[in-house]
Amino acid sequence: MLGGPELNPTAIQVLQVLTIVVFAPLVSGVIAHIEARLQGRRGPRVLQPYYDLAKLFRKETLVPEDAGWVFVLGPVVAFVCYLTVPMLIPVLTAYPLPLGYMGDILGGGFILALAGFSVALAAAETDAPYAQLGSSRAMTFGALIEPSILFITFTVALVTATDLPYFEAAAARASLGDVLRPAHLLAALAFFLVVLNDTGRIPVETHASTLELGMIDEARTLEHSGPLLALLRWGAAMKQLVLYVILINVFAAPWGLAGTRSAGAVLVAIPIFLGKAVGVGTLFAVIDNSFSKLRLFKITEFMAAAFLLAVLAVLVLFLGGG
Amino acid sequence: MHGATLVATAVPSPYAATADALAVLVLLSEFGMLRAPLSRSQVRLYSFQSLVVTGLAAFVAADRHIPGLYAIAGISLVLKVVVIPAIVLRLLRDARVELVPSHRLGVASMVLLALVAAAFGIFVIGSMSVRSRSLPAPALGLAAAAILVSFLLVILRSDVVSQAIGFFSLENGVSVASLVVAAGLPLIVEVAFFFDLLVAVVVFGVLMRVHHERTRTLSTTVLDRLRG
Repeated sequence: MLGGPELNPTAIQVLQVLTIVVFAPLVSGVIAHIEARLQGRRGPRVLQPYYDLAKLFRKETLVPEDAGWVFVLGPVVAFVCYLTVPMLIPVLTAYPLPLGYMGDILGGGFILALAGFSVALAAAETDAPYAQLGSSRAMTFGALIEPSILFITFTVALVTATDLPYFEAAAARASLGDVLRPAHLLAALAFFLVVLNDTGRIPVETHASTLELGMIDEARTLEHSGPLLALLRWGAAMKQLVLYVILINVFAAPWGLAGTRSAGAVLVAIPIFLGKAVGVGTLFAVIDNSFSKLRLFKITEFMAAAFLLAVLAVLVLFLGGG
Repeated sequence: MHGATLVATAVPSPYAATADALAVLVLLSEFGMLRAPLSRSQVRLYSFQSLVVTGLAAFVAADRHIPGLYAIAGISLVLKVVVIPAIVLRLLRDARVELVPSHRLGVASMVLLALVAAAFGIFVIGSMSVRSRSLPAPALGLAAAAILVSFLLVILRSDVVSQAIGFFSLENGVSVASLVVAAGLPLIVEVAFFFDLLVAVVVFGVLMRVHHERTRTLSTTVLDRLRG
């Protein structure tokens, strides 16, 4: 184990949130760069998201004529939600931090849903048709993916007898049988599809598209500008990284987390985590480049696939073996 | 956790977990065949499924020291992974049909319906509490689920290839089930099963060809039309 002075649990807690806040745009930038390379383009600089945010924060905010306070508050509430979730999930440490028990997987899911809801509400507040279209679509598809998330939570509950993300990760680290058991693999795969949907990736959505009619999540932010848009962009990057954390550190690869409180172990966990996140992001970029977007009314088929995997995970567990 | 009444399910051994995961793959590829739009991708999925069944047989043979199973795995590798898919693909190429719209229901509804069938199979077998020396019991439930889903594949897709692939993959489900309950079955009995399968391939091959020559399509929906 790596040495160094013992860190206060609260300090580690703050560090977890800071990791997400500070590095979310970087991870987005690296993924965008890799994606461009895969397509044979040179691509933007890795740090481009930071420059974009800095530029947007300096610009003025324009509010549509009929929009009220909800339009302004929506992005702020969403940003605060994305700041809250990293306290509940294992970003850097393998052991639960003091506030880790504040909410379980469902609690984290609720907070993420609140964030999505407030952005959708802010979009609905405008009179703009595309923003409202995005708002309505995001809520519809959000509701359709919800059953899969529920069944993933059930799986975690059946495997660990809790629904805390730390315990699922600990179970996977504890024995090889727990990693290979079909329930774990199916839940991980189902969650992978959920992340694909929630980060607005192909086959659900073309995330860098400028074609409004195909947009789902992207369309919601069309009317925002200046610092509010910056908050939304930053929030989207954080949401992506938070979902990656759950995918990587709870299901797919819960290794390389800090096991002690020593400063060295915790600080080393940051680059390891970022490396894993970029790895997952590269996988998403490859998927982005190898599949085509589904037609809007075919997205239910994608949701059905995620649901199938999640339900099978629970069914296999009921057999007593999975 | 105060007042927790949930009990964590027992952790399976790596052997049991891997075997179950392979059985899950068999079931998942069955679902894949059910929803795959192209006949060609159905055949490829069948080939993949057979490969998983072969792998499972070899895995059991290696871990439980049943040498007869290696022979089964070898025959299954040649026949089900290579020869049968090649024959069906050849027939498809001769028929020159790219896409037969044959879904009787929407894909999402089909998957949900198949999920209900799979759950039925899993619960029925689960309540029987079968014990086996060769494979963990969940594999039997998953095999039953795969068999029920392959019935649905035959029922819900109205083209000749789906009917054939549904039947062939039914045999894959039976293979997995037989690995659980009768891994030590005499070799000659297992080989007899393969001959059954070969007969089925010939019959379905002839059927596909005759049907295509008569109706110029692979869809079976034209069959219930009365001809004066």
